[in-house]
Amino acid sequence: MNQFTFESKQKTILLAFMGLGALCLALSFFMDAQPAHARFWSNFLHNTVFFTGIAFVSLFVMTAFITAYAGWYVLFKRVWEAYAAFLIPGLVMLGVVILGLWTGWHHLYHWADPAEVAKDPILEHKSSFLNKNWYTLGTLIIVGAWIFFQRRLRSLSLAEDKLDSTGDFSLHRKMKVVAAAFLPIGAFTSAAMIWQWVMSVDAHWYSTLFAWYSTASWFVACLALTILTVVWLKSKGYLEQVSSEHLHDLGKYLFAFSIFWTYLWFSQFMLIWYANVGEETVYFNTRRHEFPVMFYGNLFINFLVPFFILMRNDTKRKYGTMVFTSLIVFFGHWWDYFLMIKPGVLETASHLGHGEDHGEAAGHGAEHLSEAASHGADHAGDVAHAAATHASDFVSGFTLPGLLEIGTMLGFLAFFLFFTLRQLEKASLLPKNDPYLEESKHHHVM
Amino acid sequence: MKDQNTDVLYGLYDDEQDLLKAVKEAKDQHLEIMDVFTPFPVHGLDPLLGLAESRLHIAGFVYGAIGCLFGFGFMTWVFTRDWPIIFGGKPYFSAPAFIPVTFELTVLFASVGMVVTFYTICGLWPGVKNPTLDDRITDDKFCIAFNASGAEDSEVDKLKGFFSGTGASEVNMKTI
Amino acid sequence: MSAVVSPIREPLIEGGKTYHQITEDICSPTERTPSTAWVLAFIVSASFLALYVFSVAWTVWHGIGTWDLNRTIGWSWDITNFVWWVGIGHAGTLISAILLLFRQKWRTGVNRAAEAMTIFAVICAGQFPLIHMGRLWLGFFIFPYPNTRGPLWVNFNSPLLWDVFAISTYFTVSLLFWYTGLVPDFATVRDRATGLRRRIYNGLSFGWTGSAKHWQRWESLSLVLAGLATPLVLSVHTIVSFDFATSVIPGWHTTIFPPYFVAGAIFSGFAMVQTLMIITRKVLNLQQYITLQHIESMNKVILLTGTMVGVAYLTELFIAWYSGYIYEQFAFYNRVLGPYWWSYFGMMTCNVISPQIFWVKKFRRSIFITFFMSIFINIGMWFERFVIITSTLARDYLPSSWSYHYPTWVEVCLFLGTLGLFFTLYLIFVRVAPVIAVAEVKSILKSAGDQYIGENAKEHAHADSH
Repeated sequence: MNQFTFESKQKTILLAFMGLGALCLALSFFMDAQPAHARFWSNFLHNTVFFTGIAFVSLFVMTAFITAYAGWYVLFKRVWEAYAAFLIPGLVMLGVVILGLWTGWHHLYHWADPAEVAKDPILEHKSSFLNKNWYTLGTLIIVGAWIFFQRRLRSLSLAEDKLDSTGDFSLHRKMKVVAAAFLPIGAFTSAAMIWQWVMSVDAHWYSTLFAWYSTASWFVACLALTILTVVWLKSKGYLEQVSSEHLHDLGKYLFAFSIFWTYLWFSQFMLIWYANVGEETVYFNTRRHEFPVMFYGNLFINFLVPFFILMRNDTKRKYGTMVFTSLIVFFGHWWDYFLMIKPGVLETASHLGHGEDHGEAAGHGAEHLSEAASHGADHAGDVAHAAATHASDFVSGFTLPGLLEIGTMLGFLAFFLFFTLRQLEKASLLPKNDPYLEESKHHHVM
Repeated sequence: MKDQNTDVLYGLYDDEQDLLKAVKEAKDQHLEIMDVFTPFPVHGLDPLLGLAESRLHIAGFVYGAIGCLFGFGFMTWVFTRDWPIIFGGKPYFSAPAFIPVTFELTVLFASVGMVVTFYTICGLWPGVKNPTLDDRITDDKFCIAFNASGAEDSEVDKLKGFFSGTGASEVNMKTI
Repeated sequence: MSAVVSPIREPLIEGGKTYHQITEDICSPTERTPSTAWVLAFIVSASFLALYVFSVAWTVWHGIGTWDLNRTIGWSWDITNFVWWVGIGHAGTLISAILLLFRQKWRTGVNRAAEAMTIFAVICAGQFPLIHMGRLWLGFFIFPYPNTRGPLWVNFNSPLLWDVFAISTYFTVSLLFWYTGLVPDFATVRDRATGLRRRIYNGLSFGWTGSAKHWQRWESLSLVLAGLATPLVLSVHTIVSFDFATSVIPGWHTTIFPPYFVAGAIFSGFAMVQTLMIITRKVLNLQQYITLQHIESMNKVILLTGTMVGVAYLTELFIAWYSGYIYEQFAFYNRVLGPYWWSYFGMMTCNVISPQIFWVKKFRRSIFITFFMSIFINIGMWFERFVIITSTLARDYLPSSWSYHYPTWVEVCLFLGTLGLFFTLYLIFVRVAPVIAVAEVKSILKSAGDQYIGENAKEHAHADSH
């Protein structure tokens, strides 16, 4: 079967999960103990960025593969094309974040509050980059550009299906041009967007590696989700020609890029830990001491689990094992993004809760930092606040993902899949005129 | 390498596809192949010959695990037991700083161990004089060899018949 | 049953080669008497090697005071050269390991020479930290061994010690990987030779026979070594970058250093491979094995890594501003507009701007431009390390100790001397070993030979029938 049909039963299930997600979002909006609905908004931002990123990465991977003459992935490339189309709803959801930014519905970003910026020389310095205009324009233009490339690539790919002869490579050559052009553009712009969307949640903190690190996280999540989707489609009788050979290669990618992610994680952590500069260590100190389960669990599920399971050749060829590992790793990188976003949002929210003393805290910034540097284990950024808010307290929805967070994630995932399956329905699953199709059909790993 | 001489009857093929067909044929005829020699690794040959999958990578894992535990354990012992010193305000046991050396030792142990194992189990070493059946085996000929020591003429004829039937370009007998 | 190959792929072996012709073409250069060009090149390289020996002797005899380093600029040409050579030493293992895992077939044409180059480059790199010790004969202090002074151990927390482990592991593993690939090819050379030469090559080939079981293990070994070498190659330049990034010196302490150094290393390594392969394929007449397709592929890698390095340069600049940390900002201001502005300018021009011409297919496939660019990139990558090391050190926290470093003749000769060492080793290598992996090229013949795939496949089949 090359034509996917999105059955109504599947639609119902996905819609039900989307309903669950909406319910969880609503509950987190009304039951929020944090000021300015921080739990709701951080959940929204977290999932929006995570799933938009997966769409972006699938576009990036496709363009990289086209440029590198890869042939093996062609049989399931429609899955990635469908993922990439999620950039459009992604932009809409980012639009909601932007809207909230302008209307003051949320306080996700410390730098978005003019009163805070006025009191804080560091934020003031950054305000020519961290401001509402840039955030809005950057998101619209850059994600808009990604969507342009996505649509261009998709339409060329669909047009290729309609060619009469398989020997016509002109459309493929055009795809190569589009792909090559996207690679540097995607590389530069994704970094800029990650700084705005994610890194600026911890508005004082900075790390040059951060953009590459979080892109790697997206990438692994995208691979895990791809494996899940491909196996599911196979179980429904589609993608017959995708064999354990393709699964093996996807497994190798999952294995290799889990290690690569760990490498970037370690590089970033170790350098900051080693140099012990207060401005930087504050980030990991908060996470290690106030979010220890998240912090160490992150390494466990994203490194140790895939590393030990996928090390052997035979495990990469078993559907069950691969599904199991992919589920864990997919969740793991969602967890990773949780850990990137939540502590910073909580910190910003605590400023709101104690409006009167944050000016003092900012003024004492330098002092605190040097204190942190001298005994690295301390919470550097805001010692005063840490004491005021009892940092070690359990904060629902922040210290650990609660049921509402899981439900929200499932809702977003269902939305993502709903959209993906709708896209899959629009074209044959088999790109029959792709020049590498035969290679992909006869792909052998060993 | 061997104490007593072996008579080897071998046939040379010009193409790896002919070789694969011949090996299959020999299997069907229940001929016991002594060895197959090729100028490059021919894919699909191992299952036909019934070669078990190499376990070299398992050995590699074991060596790597030893290197990893040894490296990390050694540094931990040095800095927490044998001679504790504080470097740069770090605790005695500063795991992140041990990772790079641990990693390098893991790779070093695994690689060196595997390579030594490989040459040892293959019996390859500088100075080893393995008999070569034909100089063109490392060039462009694909060779199937049968052990013909003490074989009767009828058996030898049967083997020769096999070679001519499967398109061998040359058949020779050699005592090694 | 031959492998299915997309009709869009271009052949990687031209000239309708047979297995025997491959053997003949690749092995015969080791059997001929050296050409005049080779002899001349060898004399020049060996003279530079002699210059190297002389400058090392001078340095050791008079001490590293002869380098005119000062309290402010304690590292300059020496460490720049070290990092430059280590970087060059990355392409070989990348080509053989990562491209093997990614099943890029074009690697078979260039992997042997690139791995040899890697090993020689690492040898050159290793010289500099050793000479920099001053008292070479105490070099064994860097190894952890129970000694009579305590027992004091080496500082396992020091990135400089990590370097010792990383470089020596990298050298060992690259050597084993390279040699294991060479063993079957040495056997091919052996079987074409007679007399003493045959005995020597039998020793070198470890008595290789080509038995099916041996090939099976050999393939398994190559695959696992490739799997190990891939993170290893990342780790080596990562650890080199830790030498700088674990410090608290503005301009050095930045988290992007590890992957950015690795990208830069691959970039410069591929440039050096291009330099060597363009000459080698011409001189040894191997254009049908190292085709324009190979050169184009390598140029694409150069373009990719060059752009990644560019992303990293701009990220550093941006984050320096973004950090709001004045010392960081000054460090980068100083890089771009300080007294060493010319090296920053050279770095940007050579590494980021000029490789962009490879967007044009015509330039990617031009031998002349590729050769020119490869030299250009190597110069640019030398500048990059110089920018990071010297221009950062020249302006430290205390304006009264700001300084400027002019290299002495000893330093210049040391650098030129290592080039002599490198090329001497490479020239010896092309005389004694097949510069292309014979067995591996044979194994891709049917899926990459131009009589089997590509536009001319039918014509050749036609020609064969005549």
